[in-house]
This record gives sequence, C-alpha cells and structure tokens, in this order.
Amino acid sequence: MKIAFFGYFVGQAVANISNNRLVHLIGVGTMAIAFLIFDAFILIFLNLSHWTEERGKLLTMSIYFKEEPGGVVLQNIKTELLHFPGVTIKRFISKDDAMKSLRRQLGDKAGLLDGLGENPLPASLEIMVSSDKCGDSIPYQLKTRLETNPAVDEVQYSQEWIRRFQGIMDLIKIVGVVLGGLLFLAALFIITNTIKLTIYSRKDEIEILKLVGATNRFVKIPFLIEGAIQGFLGGSVALIILFLVYTIAIARVDLRIGFASLDIIFLPTQLMLFLLLMSIIIGFVGSTISLGRFIRI
Amino acid sequence: MIQLFHVYKAFGSRNPALIDVSLTVRKGEFAFITGPSGAGKTTLLKIISRAEKTSSGQALVNGRNLNRINERELAFLRRRIGVVFQDFKLLPRRNVFENVALALEIAGFPLSVVRKKVHQTLRYLGLANKEDCYPPQLSGGEQQRVAVARAIINNPLILLADEPTGNLDPDLTMEIMALLREIHIRGTTVVVATHSQELLRDTRRRIVTLNKGRII
Repeated sequence: MKIAFFGYFVGQAVANISNNRLVHLIGVGTMAIAFLIFDAFILIFLNLSHWTEERGKLLTMSIYFKEEPGGVVLQNIKTELLHFPGVTIKRFISKDDAMKSLRRQLGDKAGLLDGLGENPLPASLEIMVSSDKCGDSIPYQLKTRLETNPAVDEVQYSQEWIRRFQGIMDLIKIVGVVLGGLLFLAALFIITNTIKLTIYSRKDEIEILKLVGATNRFVKIPFLIEGAIQGFLGGSVALIILFLVYTIAIARVDLRIGFASLDIIFLPTQLMLFLLLMSIIIGFVGSTISLGRFIRI
Repeated sequence: MIQLFHVYKAFGSRNPALIDVSLTVRKGEFAFITGPSGAGKTTLLKIISRAEKTSSGQALVNGRNLNRINERELAFLRRRIGVVFQDFKLLPRRNVFENVALALEIAGFPLSVVRKKVHQTLRYLGLANKEDCYPPQLSGGEQQRVAVARAIINNPLILLADEPTGNLDPDLTMEIMALLREIHIRGTTVVVATHSQELLRDTRRRIVTLNKGRII
C-alpha cells in the first residue's frame, strides 16, 4: 500500500469517527467497559500472584536450644548462619522471654503457669530465610546442618506453609488462564458486536462505495483503522479508570485499615503497553470479523 | 457493450423479477427501459451493474461475463460504469466535492488530478459554487447533478440511470435529460430506466418495454 493511500485511509477513518461521534462514543464506551473488566482481572491476578510469591519467598525458621545458650555459643551459630545467602537473624528469645510472651498470650489464664516449677520453654533464635536469594533447597540444608550442632535441640520451619503457598499459586495460575481466556473471548464478542453497530449504521455508505468501484480492501481498510483507533481509545480509557480506582481505593484502604503491608501494586508499564496493544489488536480483529457480511454487495 | 442472454432473476419464492430477458445495447447507444412499477426495470439495471446476480442466463458487459468475474475485476469494471439513482445515493456526511471525488479516489488518482477533474466536472454541471455544501443543503435537482457528476467523472463507458428524474419537477427533469444527452454525445452508452411517458414522448431513442419481468 502506498504511503499516500495509507494517509488517505487514516484521514477517512478519523473523518468517519468525527462524523459518527455518537456511535463511536458508544463503541468506545462499551470497549472501555469490556477492557476494564479484563484489565481489573489482570490487576487482581497480578497482585495475588505477586503477594503469594512474596509470602512464599520469605520463611521463618526457629532454632530451639537444649539449654540457654551462652554468648559464645550463640555468636558461633550466628556467624555460621550469616554464611548462608538470604539469611537474616531476626531475634533471640531467651527462656525468660519465651515465658513472658506465653504469659502475655494467656492473659487472665497466665496463673496456670505458676504451677510449673522450672521454666520448660526452650530458648530459641528466629531467623528469616529468603528462598529468592538462597534457592528452594537451602532451608532443608540449613536445618540438617544446624541440627548437628550439640547446642541445638530442633530446627523448625514452615515447609508445609510453603507447599500450601505453592499450591495456591498453581491454582491461581490455572484459574487465571481460564478466567482470563473467557474474559478475553467475552470482550472480543462484545467488541465485535459493537463494531457491527458502527458498520451497520453505515451500510448505505458501503453500498455506494462498492457501486462506484471500490475494492473490498478500499472499503475495509478505513473500518479496520477505525476499529484499531476505537480499541486504542477504549483500552486507554479502561487503564485510566483502573488507575484512578486503584489510586482512590488504595488511599482509602490505607486510611481505614492500614492495608499498606499488603503492598498492592499497579500494572507495570510494560504490561500496560501490552494491554494497550492488545486493545488495538482486538479492535482491529473485531472490525475484521464484523465486516465480513457487509461488504458482499 | 451490454448483452443479456435469457436472463432470469428471482428473489426467494416471489414471482420472478426478470423472465427470459435477452437484450443487446450497442456501444454509443442511448436506450430507455420503460414499463410500469414492478416491471423489473431496476432489477435489470442492477443485473448490468452486477449489484445483483442472475438466477440463470448470462450477462456480459464490455465483453466480461458478470457470472464469472471476481471481486477485484468487478470493482474495476464498475469504475467504467456510472450509476445514477432516483434517490441520488450521495453520502450525506461528505460535501459535494468529496462525493464527486470519491470515484476518482477509489480509482487511485493522485490528489492534484482529483482536484482538477472535480473542479472541471462541477463547473461543467453548474455546481462550482456548491463544492462545500452537503447534500441535505441542496435541492433535488442539484443533488441529482452531483450524482451525475460522480457518475461521469471517470469518463465511463456506460451510464446507467434508474428513474433519474423521478424526484424532480418538469424543469429539472428537462435539465437532467439534457445533461444525459450531452454525456451520450461525448461517447458514453446511456441506459435510462423510467416509467415516465413524458420522457419518452417524441424521442427517437430506442425504447425497451418491460412488463411483469418480460420484454414486450
């Protein structure tokens, strides 16, 4: 296609949009709603998977000592731990601290503990292990190694918790792909029908174009460009609305329940560009599907 | 230029619109197709412009068999056939210039050529001062002249006019008919479908009469 022709078609598409503002406005509005649902789903999916991954990456490990460890023993263990990548020492809980904490938790019923002679609670060291930095096999290696230390009684970490997170992640991914696919098809269906409305409102024009010798390509191209422009506009509006809702909703959540720890993220720029590109493609494909039967004159 | 051989055309289960129509219109001829409403005049013109396909029989235009023509060839053939309708069929959201330029733009002429030819044609048809007007702003006669301008701007081999004066008063009718005669003198084959006996009075042109889908 010559550049001059392309310019002509783009000009026609823009003129058609401007001449049929109401129909296009309805089209862009419908597309924006369809894309908004899809984008919102992507945002929720992204946050769920991000949140689950983050939680799965950080695990807490407790090292229980046989006896209250002396300063040298504790220091040796700490030094050994810090050789492992991704390990952060959180705190040391002495036997007394453990008892105080238990008393606090029991509250009114703390008197039950008075009957105990010696403090049976072990001293412990809490550490955080980031599987992101140290890999999945390290927690087990760490546990095995620490348990060979004569001062250490037992090492516990939430292996099951990790497995559960992994399960949730896998489920979210499957549900995400299925739901995302269904939403994509629904969006395409809605958009195809919206574009049909636009085309139907101009079927006389198509007939005239064909009768004065326009090829199918000549008739189709401005409609395809219009579809792509509508897709771009609908996609942009959807992202803007989503961003506004995100900004307002997050501000509210922060204010009311201090939800900031959830660290809700917005769509990254690359993903937004991808969604926008997809909106354009859907508009284009929707036009192609819709045009089929109208140009057979 | 136009040859129809035993053409039948039926729409669904209704009575056929054309029955065994055979007709030859020679190059440079001016012919009227006449008959009462529902006789099949419009269908006949639609067959010639391939807006409709024949149910059976053959239709040839400029040597091309319309039953065996692909989409692209048909588009190119239509650029050599000008069509004028009773209801003008102008694009209401495009101004006079743009409506007339359409036929040239479709044929891929550069913008400079389009401008020159449109100006020339509009001047020839007395519409030079109406270039920027939109069809709804024009009178019936002016709209029909715009439609004629669009039909002849490509120097077509054939001009098909379906009741071109049906919506016009007697003065404007004479004006449009004079225009069609001029176009014919310039070498275009002209076929006019009309039910108006006024137009046919005193004419020495060929008259083809249709009744209930048959040539009589």
